[in-house]
Amino acid sequence: MSVLEIWLGILQGFRVTALVTLYGLVFAIPFGLIFGVAQHLTTGPARFVVTSVIEFWRSSAVIILLFVFYYALPLAGLALSAMTVSAMVLGLNIGGYASQAVRAGLQALDRGQKEAGHALGLSRSTILLRIELPQALVAMSPTFINQLIQLVKATSLVSLVTLTDMTFRAKEISQIEYDPVPIYTSLLLAYFIVCYPVALFGRWVERRINPAREARRAV
Amino acid sequence: MQFDVAFALSTVPTILGAIGMTLLVAASSCVGASAIGFGFELIRRSGGWGGLLVGFVIDFIRATPVLVWLYCLYFILPFYGIRLGALATGMIGLSLYYSGYLAEVFKAGIDAIPNGQAEAAKALGLGRMDMTIFVIAPQMLRNIAAPMGNYFVSILKATPYLAVLAVPEMLGRAFDIASDTYRYAEPLTVAGLIFLGLALLISQAIKRLEIRLLGPTAR
Repeated sequence: MSVLEIWLGILQGFRVTALVTLYGLVFAIPFGLIFGVAQHLTTGPARFVVTSVIEFWRSSAVIILLFVFYYALPLAGLALSAMTVSAMVLGLNIGGYASQAVRAGLQALDRGQKEAGHALGLSRSTILLRIELPQALVAMSPTFINQLIQLVKATSLVSLVTLTDMTFRAKEISQIEYDPVPIYTSLLLAYFIVCYPVALFGRWVERRINPAREARRAV
Repeated sequence: MQFDVAFALSTVPTILGAIGMTLLVAASSCVGASAIGFGFELIRRSGGWGGLLVGFVIDFIRATPVLVWLYCLYFILPFYGIRLGALATGMIGLSLYYSGYLAEVFKAGIDAIPNGQAEAAKALGLGRMDMTIFVIAPQMLRNIAAPMGNYFVSILKATPYLAVLAVPEMLGRAFDIASDTYRYAEPLTVAGLIFLGLALLISQAIKRLEIRLLGPTAR
C-alpha cells in the first residue's frame, strides 16, 4: 500500500474527527461559560454544587467517562448515538477545564472594574456581560485555543466506541495491511497538521494580548 | 437490562486489586516525564540545531494525541525488533508524551528566575552542572510546584489509556470483567468512580504538600 493510499484512507476519517470536535464545542462552550460564571458568582452551598459538577467532568479520566456513558446510558433508557455520547463527554470534559479559565479570568480582573460599574448605576448582569466577561474572555483566549487543541486530540478516543475517525481508519488500514510504520507516522502527522496551525495561532494571539495587558497595567 | 448495584459492588475488589498497577504506571511515568522533560528543556535552552530540533519535538508531541503515540510505540517498535511488552511500552509512551508538557512547565519556571542568579553562580565559579542542580533547579521547582502537580494528576488520569494495550490496570480489569459477564456498565462505572476519587485525593494531597513545602502563598 502506497503512502498516498494510506493518507487517503486516514483522510476519510477526517470528517468524523471534525464533526466530533464541532459538536464537542457545542457542549463545551456553553458549559464552560455558564459554570465558570456560576462558580464566580455563587457562594455557600450553591457554589459547592457548581464546583462538584465541574469537578466531576474535569477530574474524571475522560477515556473512562466515554466508556461509562457509552455503555451505561442505554441502561438508563437513553439510547444516544455514539457521536452524541462522544461529543457530550469530550465536550463537557473540556468545558470543565474551560470553566476554570473563565473563572480565573473573571477573578483576575481588577475590582475597580466592577466597582466602577456599580458607581455608574449599572445592574450586576450588565456589569458581567458588558464589562467583566469581555475582558476576561479576551485575556484567557490563548487558554481557550489550547483547550480546543486538547479537544481535537481527545477525539482520537472516539475510535474506541466505533466511530470511524482518523485513528479508527488508521487502525483499520493496519489490520488489512501489516505496515505499521508509515500508517501510524502518517496518523501522527495528520493530527500535527490539524493542531499545529491552531497552536501557532494561539501563540500569535498571546503575543497580541500580552503587550496590551502590560500597557493597561502601566496606566 | 438494569444497572445492577449488587453486581457493581461485587466488582469493586477485583478492580481495586489493580490500583497498585495504576499507581506504579502513574508514578514511574511522572518520574520519566519529569526527567525527559527537564532534559528536553535544558537542550532547548542551549540553542543551536539540537535546541531547535528538541523545540520542534516538544511542539510535535503537544500537537498529537497520546492514544496515537501509544499505538505508534506499541506497533512500530516491534516492527524494528524492539519488544518491550505492553507495560514498558505504555510507561515509555506516557513519559515521552508528558515530557513535552513538563518541558513547557520547566521553561516557564526557569524563565521566572532572575538572570542575576545564573550570573552570580558563574561569578562564584560554579560549573554548568553545579549551577543547574544547585541554583536553577531548586528555584525552578518552587516556581512550578502547582502546574507540575496538575500534570502529575493528568498522568494519573492518562493511565487507563494503557488498557488499550491490554495492560492490567484498573480499566483493563474492568474490561476483563465486562467481557466475562457481558455487563459493561457496572464495572466501568466502578472503575470511573475509583479513578475520580483517586484523582481528587491526589490533587488535594499535592495541594497540601505544596502549602507545606512552600507556605500558603505558593498559589
